[in-house]
Amino acid sequence: MVVAANAAAQNAGIRRGQQVSAALALAPDVRLHERDREAEADALAEIATLALAFTPQASLAPPAAIVAEVGASARLFGGVPRLLEHLAQQVQARGYHVRSTIAPTPTAAWLLACAGVAAPAAGATRPTAPVITTAVTTIAVTTLAQLPAALDALPLALLDLDANALATLNAAGVTTLGAARRLPRAALARRAGTVLVDVLDRAFGVASDPREPYRPPPRFERRLPLPATVETVDALGFAVNRLLHDLSGWLAARGLGAMRLTLTLVHERHLRERGLAPTSVAFAFGAPARAPAHLNAVLRERLARIELPAAVDALVLVSDETAPLAGRSLGLLPDDVRSPESASDAAAVPLVERLRSRLSDDAVVVLETCAEHRPEYAMRMIGAASIAPARAPVSDAPVPPRPLWLLDAMRPLRADIEAKPWVLRDGPERIESGWWDGRDLRRDYFVAESPHGETVWIYRDHRYGTDDGEWFMHGLFA
Amino acid sequence: MNPALTEALAHPAIWRGGDCAPEPAAVATGFDALDAVLPGGGWPRAALTEIVLEREGIGEIMLTLPALARLQVEGSLVVWIAPPYRPYAPALAAAGLDLARFVVVRDVDERDALWACEQALRAPECGAAFIWTSTHDERALRRLQVAAREGRSWSVVWRRPGRQASAATAPLRLALAPHEGQLAVRVLKRRGAELPHPVLLDLRREQRASLHSLSDHHKRPKPSSHHAVGLPVPAVARARCLRAQRRR
Repeated sequence: MVVAANAAAQNAGIRRGQQVSAALALAPDVRLHERDREAEADALAEIATLALAFTPQASLAPPAAIVAEVGASARLFGGVPRLLEHLAQQVQARGYHVRSTIAPTPTAAWLLACAGVAAPAAGATRPTAPVITTAVTTIAVTTLAQLPAALDALPLALLDLDANALATLNAAGVTTLGAARRLPRAALARRAGTVLVDVLDRAFGVASDPREPYRPPPRFERRLPLPATVETVDALGFAVNRLLHDLSGWLAARGLGAMRLTLTLVHERHLRERGLAPTSVAFAFGAPARAPAHLNAVLRERLARIELPAAVDALVLVSDETAPLAGRSLGLLPDDVRSPESASDAAAVPLVERLRSRLSDDAVVVLETCAEHRPEYAMRMIGAASIAPARAPVSDAPVPPRPLWLLDAMRPLRADIEAKPWVLRDGPERIESGWWDGRDLRRDYFVAESPHGETVWIYRDHRYGTDDGEWFMHGLFA
Repeated sequence: MNPALTEALAHPAIWRGGDCAPEPAAVATGFDALDAVLPGGGWPRAALTEIVLEREGIGEIMLTLPALARLQVEGSLVVWIAPPYRPYAPALAAAGLDLARFVVVRDVDERDALWACEQALRAPECGAAFIWTSTHDERALRRLQVAAREGRSWSVVWRRPGRQASAATAPLRLALAPHEGQLAVRVLKRRGAELPHPVLLDLRREQRASLHSLSDHHKRPKPSSHHAVGLPVPAVARARCLRAQRRR
């Protein structure tokens, strides 16, 4: 049976509810696609995640609707119409058509939205496919008092009723919600079942209508098949951007920031069958990041440096590690209220992230002192994670002189000393330590001045027990 | 000078031969003698500075440390790109630098180093970027100059001894050399009149102030973490000449 038809098919006369054979008879060259319920459920979940960026309370109303409570977030986004406009824009950007309605109760909103379907043939069941319309919002019911006026004219066929019950009511002349509402409750419940009475109560606000809020999955994993195979990395930009927007919405919904991501580039099927593994690119962030602009900048830099072994067919983005990231709190005064999207997108990518994404992770380092007597082990260079904002406490203990530059390889000085005398300015400082890990040393350190005028840190190596060891240069007092 | 004359000479249309160009923002170097000769009274914030070294280990980094510390206190990051040796963290910490706001970029080739420097200069959170490079590519240095101007960062291009200095893209160029125990700073180029005589700075006084000498160290009662094993220590750290000793 035909469930949905595009404009060209409808022009040829194909309608929803027809048999496939009838459709083929009307237009022999029509292209048929199998209905994929799983993909529809995934798409609905995706849209629900988008809605979660605007409101904490969004529920699925399968097969094709999302019910979201927007009253609480209306003020933040500058009013309900603007909120709906933003949401509709984002959903349409993903290729879906959307129709939205506003009502005081969830069931009423859903009914009104469903009623906007292009009028089905008489006797058809309620719509099961996404509606095709261009209007964003046409119906807005703001108070409970307006509900009867809006809902009364809707046909009973919209509700998911038992076929017998529906036939009974139709035979009795009750075809609209308004007519059903005016019937005595007990009699209606007996004839048509409690489901109808329940739905009417919930739609008109007589009974409460709690909805199960949609919770995004604990791990983000999205596969984006590309419309055409892509040969170069530059052309992947648009697809990567879209995946990152989805990731950003999921992170916002769960209040997290990404710490590690993996982007897998899946190559064409015939190459996969021949054993070519998909290319995986891993990204690590110093601090949890959520803004799409930030994620995009880092990913683009890294992607620009990899070479594609073959053309890419699909992209898969998986979040490996996330960490809680609090949202930004806005001020109470009117001047402080800004649109949240602009605030999050305007976050500048920190310098360290940018450097790390293009150069290797080891190239950008932060220094750290260690509690060690041996000079070469008294400091560590660690990959720059997030820069700690607090200043490390400086101990008051007196510090012996230490050079600003340390040589990685000690330079033997015998020849230099024999050529011209060096002047010792400070010392000796005996450092004898490290017997426990085999790198023990016994040295006398001096601050010396070379004949050329440089101030250097030299030592005499007494490792072999005698007291007249060799002289080496270890650092420069720059 | 006659106050009336001073007032008259302060007219903006009068330029005096010894004047330097007004520098919009400058970081005080911490050395008064050097501040007096630099335009703006300190290191230029929005332009490139080139420092040519005759020797290493003469106090060249110590010259810049007070300004770096001041920038870190303001909250900016300090980035060193491709330093010739390892920056020794205990010494930097003792000299007053905040290691949490100090980033080193190392093990990168020339092109990546210049790219990193440009990124650092443009970033608003970075206050100063030092790069040790031997490139003479005028275009690359021009890009750094533009990046420094747009990011309002203090940048220094260090020229190590033995390398030829580039021909004059940077508006401020200094040459450092040792001179009888002091640091002689020759201003090769600045936005102002030429300076024939070098500025002599006694950095050892600063060194002794921040890192104190070992003889004072031994006079105090030893704290438990002190590591010196007993060795006869001269009461006063006299300068001793070190000659090659004949082996027994």
